[in-house]
Amino acid sequence: MVTKSVSPSPWASLRNVVKQPVVAGVLLVVYLLIATFILSNLNRRDLWFPLYSTLTFPMLVLAPFLILAAPLRVQIKALLIVVVLFLIIPYLGIRDSSYLELIIQICIFAGLALGLNIVVGFAGLLDLGYIAFFAVGAYTWGMVSSQANTIFYINGWLVSGAAFYGFIFIGVGVAALVGILLGLPVLRLRGDYLAIVTLGFGEMIRVIANNLDKPINLTNGSQGLFNVGHPPVPPFLFNAVVSAQGTLGLPTDNAEPLAQQLLFYVIGIVMVAVIIVVARRLDNSPIGRAWTAIREDEVAAIAMGVPLVRMKLMAFAMGASFAGAIGVLYGAKQTFVSPESFSLIQSISILAMVIVGGIGGIRGALFGAVIVTLLNLLVLKNMSLQINALRNVDFIVPLINFHIRDWPTQLEPAKYERFIFGLLLIVMMIFRPAGLLPEPRRRMEMKAGSDDVEDSPTPAEEPAATAAQPDAGNV
Amino acid sequence: MSLLLDVRNLTKKFGGLTAVGDVALGIEEHSISAIIGPNGAGKTTFFNLLTGIYKPDSGTMSFNGRSLVGLRPDQVNAAGMARTFQSIRLFPSMTVLENVMVGMHSRLNISLITTLLRTEAFKEQEQHVRQKASDLLRFVGLGGKGDEVSRNLPYGDQRRVEIARALASDPKLILLDEPTAGMNPQESASAMNLFSRVRDELGVTVVLIEHDMKVVMGVSEHISVLDYGQKIAEGTPAAIRANARVIEAYLGRRAAGTTENIETEEVNS
Amino acid sequence: MLDARRMTGPASFRPMVEWGYRYILFPIGQMLIFVIGAALVLTLFAYLLAFLFPVPRPNIILVDQVNRQLPGMIISGITIGFVYAMIALGYTLVYGVLKFINFAHSEIFMVGSVVGFEVMRRLGDAGSLPGWNPILLIAVMVLIAMLISGLLAVLIERIAYRPLRGAPRLVPLISAIGISFFLIDFVRAFEAITRNDFNLTYPIGDVAWFQQPVEFALGVTSVRIRPTAFVVVLGAVITLIALNYFVNGTKLGRGIRAVSQDMTTAGLMGINVNRMISLTFFIGGAFGGAAGTLFGMNVGTVTPFVGFIPGIKAFTAAVLGGIGNITGALLGGLTLGMIESFLNGLLVYFPALGQRYTDVFAFSVLILILIFRPSGLLGERVDEKV
Repeated sequence: MVTKSVSPSPWASLRNVVKQPVVAGVLLVVYLLIATFILSNLNRRDLWFPLYSTLTFPMLVLAPFLILAAPLRVQIKALLIVVVLFLIIPYLGIRDSSYLELIIQICIFAGLALGLNIVVGFAGLLDLGYIAFFAVGAYTWGMVSSQANTIFYINGWLVSGAAFYGFIFIGVGVAALVGILLGLPVLRLRGDYLAIVTLGFGEMIRVIANNLDKPINLTNGSQGLFNVGHPPVPPFLFNAVVSAQGTLGLPTDNAEPLAQQLLFYVIGIVMVAVIIVVARRLDNSPIGRAWTAIREDEVAAIAMGVPLVRMKLMAFAMGASFAGAIGVLYGAKQTFVSPESFSLIQSISILAMVIVGGIGGIRGALFGAVIVTLLNLLVLKNMSLQINALRNVDFIVPLINFHIRDWPTQLEPAKYERFIFGLLLIVMMIFRPAGLLPEPRRRMEMKAGSDDVEDSPTPAEEPAATAAQPDAGNV
Repeated sequence: MSLLLDVRNLTKKFGGLTAVGDVALGIEEHSISAIIGPNGAGKTTFFNLLTGIYKPDSGTMSFNGRSLVGLRPDQVNAAGMARTFQSIRLFPSMTVLENVMVGMHSRLNISLITTLLRTEAFKEQEQHVRQKASDLLRFVGLGGKGDEVSRNLPYGDQRRVEIARALASDPKLILLDEPTAGMNPQESASAMNLFSRVRDELGVTVVLIEHDMKVVMGVSEHISVLDYGQKIAEGTPAAIRANARVIEAYLGRRAAGTTENIETEEVNS
Repeated sequence: MLDARRMTGPASFRPMVEWGYRYILFPIGQMLIFVIGAALVLTLFAYLLAFLFPVPRPNIILVDQVNRQLPGMIISGITIGFVYAMIALGYTLVYGVLKFINFAHSEIFMVGSVVGFEVMRRLGDAGSLPGWNPILLIAVMVLIAMLISGLLAVLIERIAYRPLRGAPRLVPLISAIGISFFLIDFVRAFEAITRNDFNLTYPIGDVAWFQQPVEFALGVTSVRIRPTAFVVVLGAVITLIALNYFVNGTKLGRGIRAVSQDMTTAGLMGINVNRMISLTFFIGGAFGGAAGTLFGMNVGTVTPFVGFIPGIKAFTAAVLGGIGNITGALLGGLTLGMIESFLNGLLVYFPALGQRYTDVFAFSVLILILIFRPSGLLGERVDEKV
C-alpha cells in the first residue's frame, strides 16, 4: 500500500507514532468501538451473515491480545481488558447469545490448552490422551447430577445444581488422582512411547465410558448422560439481564437461558483466570525450573537432584486437574456428556492450540486456544452455514458459473476439522515450531537443530551406545 | 581413618564387555583425588555407577556411612554427592543463574501449596536460592554473568557453571568429569586453582577424571589408574609417575615389551 | 529371517539350494513356527480358561464352545495377524532407520484400503469384473495399492519429516500426527466429491470365486475358510518373503541396514542416506498399502477412519516383537492377531466383560510391554540410561 521501497520513513514514523501510549490507547478504543458497533449491527437474517460474522467476530476476541501487546501501563491494560470482558462481551451476548456460547467454548478450550501446556510445554511430556482427564471431570459431575437412568439416579443420590461449585474442586481432585494413577506406571517411558501410551489411555477411557452401563449403570454407555445439572442462576443476575434487555429494547422472554449462559461465561472467565495465575506461579518457582530442566536434559536434571518421576507426576497431575475442573464446567454447560465428546481429535485439537500459540508460554496457549477454537467453531461452521444459505437461494458463483447447490452434501466444512488441525500442525512444525507467540526459551530449544537437547548420547566413553544398537539381525 | 567414599568390588558389564571390573577405591574426606586412564578405561562408567545412572552388576559403594547401591541419581545427589559431565550438560536455554538454582533442588522445601499460595516462606526460600546461586557464581569467577543464557557462554565458562551447579546442592563430595577438557593452559591453571579452593574454602572433597597430566599431578593428592575397567595402580602422584604398569597402559604394551597378551585382550573386548 | 552372513547369487546348483533355503524355505519355516506356536499357546490358554470357568453363564459349557470355535478362531487369528504384521513392518522399518514413530502410517494403510476399493470399484463399474481371473485381479489391486501407498509415504517423508530431521524428537512426531489427520480428511473430501459417501464397500459380490468358502469337516465341527482369508495369508506370505530377500539379499537392502545402524557413518561410506530413507518409506508404505487392500477385501467395507485401530494395534505388534526388528514385527503381529481373535471368540461368554473390551486389551498389552520389557520379545535388552 504505502510505497515502502521508495521511502521507508513513512512506515517508521507511523510506527513511532503508534508506539506512543496516548495514540495507541486511542486507537485501541476506536478499534473496540468499531468492533462493537459492527457486531451489534449484524443481522442474522442476512444472506451473508455467516461471512460477516466470521470476518468481524475475531476482531473482538483478539482484542485482549492487542491490548496486552500495546505500549500502555499495566493498569490501563487491565482496565481495557475488564471493559472488553465485562462490558462489551456481555452487551453483545445479550443481543445475540451465540457470541456468548462461542466465548464460553473458547474459555473451556483455553483452560484445557493451559493445562496441556503444563504437561507438554513446561515438562516436555507429549500427552496425546489429555482429553481423558477432561472426560473424568465431565463424568464426575455428570454422574451425580444427570437424569439418565444411572445407579445414582435410581437410588436418589443426585446432588442439587448448587453443588456444582463444590464439584469443581472434586473434579480437580479426581482428575489429579487419575492423572497420578495413569502417570505412575508410564512416566518412566521415553517421550515418543509416552505419547503412544497416553493416546491409548485416552481411547481406553472413552471405551470404558462407553461400556460402564453394565454391569451397573454408571455412565449410561453410548447414550450418554443427559439433563446434567447446572448451577442455579442467582436472582440478581436474572434481574440484571431482564433490565438490560429492557433498556436495549429487546424481548425479555429468553432472559432465563441468557442469564444461565452469562453465569457460565463468568464462571469460565474466572476459571481461566485462576488457571493462568496457577500456571504462572508454577512456572516461576523451583517446580517450574525443575520442569524446564527435565525438558532440556533429563540426565543432567536427575543428576542434579531433580526427582524425575515425582516432578513429571506433578506436571501430569496439575495438567489433569485443570482438565478435571474444566470438565465439570463443560458437563454442566452442555447438559450432556457422552463418550463421543472425548475422542482423539479433541486431544489433538488441544495440542494444536498449544503448538499454534507457542508451546511453553501462557499467552501463547491462550492465543492458540482462541485461534483454533475460532477456526473450528466459527470459520468452519460459518462456512457450512454460508454454503447452506447460498444453496437455498440457488446462488451461482460468478465467473466460474458454479451452482452452490451442486456442492456435495458430504463435503460440509464444519466436519473437516481434522483437515485444519492436521495442516496447522504440519505447517507450524515446519515453519514455526515455537508457535505464533513464541516463548523466547522455547524458540531457542526448537532451534537446537542437530544439537538435540533431548537425546544427546549418554555421557559415557563406554560402549553403552553399542549395547543399544540393534544387532545384525535387526533393521 | 574412615573413608568418605568406600567402593569395593564394583563391576559393570555391557554385554560381553567388562566396563568396570572389580574396582575398589577409597576416598578420604577433604582430599583431592584423580582417576586417570586411557580412553575407554571405564572412568566415566565408574562415575555413572557412583551417581546411580548405571546400576552395578555387583559390588558395594558406601558414601558417608551409607550404601549408594540402588539409589537413583537424585537420591545420590541428595545424599551429598554431586557431579559434572564430560560433555557439558547444562540446561542450554536456561540462564546461568537458573542453572545453578536447579542444582539446589534437593536442598529445597518444595511444596505445591506454598508455591501456589506464594507464602512468605516460599518467597524467603526463593530469595535465598537466588542469593546463594549468585554467590556460587562469584565463587567460580562468573559474578555478573548470571543472566546470560548458558549456551551462549564460552566453553570454559560453561564448565565453571557446571561446577557451580554441582556445588549448589552443598555436596560433601564433587565428581568432576574431565573438567579441563578443551581448555587452554591459562584456563587450566585457573581451573586447578578453583579445584583447590573448592576443597579449601568450601570443604568439599574433590574427585576428578582428567587427561591433562599437568592438572592431575598439580592438584591431586591421590591418583587411581584404570585400564580396561581394572584398577591397575594407585598412589601419590610421584608413585604413579614411576609405575611401570601405568606407563604400559598409556604407551601401549608393545612399547613396554609385553606383546603376548595383546591378542587375548582384544578378543575379550 | 534376517540372517545375512554372506550374500551369494544363484550361480551354480549348490549356491542355488542354499539361496532357496535362505530366502524361501527359512522364512516360510519361521512363519510356520510363529503361527503354530501362537496358535498352540492360545489354544492352551483357551482350555485353561474353560477349565477355570466351566460354565461362565447359564447353559454355556465353555469347553464345548472352545471345541467348536477353535479352528475358526485360529484361522481368523492368522488372517488378522498377517495384516497386523504387514502394517507393523512399516512402523518397524522406519523406526529402524530414523528412530522415529511414523504416526501417519495408519493412514497410509487406510489409503491402501481405499485405493484397493477404488481399483475394484472402477473395474466393477466398467462391468469387467466377472471376466477377471481372481488371482490376477487381487495382484493388480494389491500392486496398485502398494505403488500409491509407497509413493505417498515417500512424499510424506519428503514434505513433513525430512525438513525436521535433527529437531527435537517430538517435532516430527507432531508433524506426523498432523499428516495423519490431514490424510483422513483429504480422503474424505476426495470420496465426498467422487462418491458423496464414505462407506466404501468392495464389490466382492461381483466375483463369483469370492463367494465360495472352502468347507471341510474337522472333528466335532466343520471349518469354513473364506477365500479372502486365503488371499490375505497368501499375499502376506509372498510379500514377506520378497521383503526378506530384498533386505538381506540385495545391495539396496544392505544400504538400508547400514543406514539403520549408523546414518552418519553410512553417509561417509558413500551411501546416499536420503535415498535409502526414501526407499525405506516406500517399502514400509507399500506394505501398509498391501495390508490395506487385503484388509479391505477381508472386511468388505472400509472408511477413511479405518486406519486408526489397526494402526495402533500394529504399532503394538511392532513393539511387542521389538521395534526395529523385522522378524519381531512378524512375531508380534501374529501373536497379537491370535490373542485378539481368541478374545473376540471367548469374551462374549463372560457377561461382565464382553467383546467390547477387546480394543482396550490391545492397549493394555502395549502399556504392559512398554513398562516391563520396552525392547519387546525379540529386541535386545538395553540398559536404561537413567
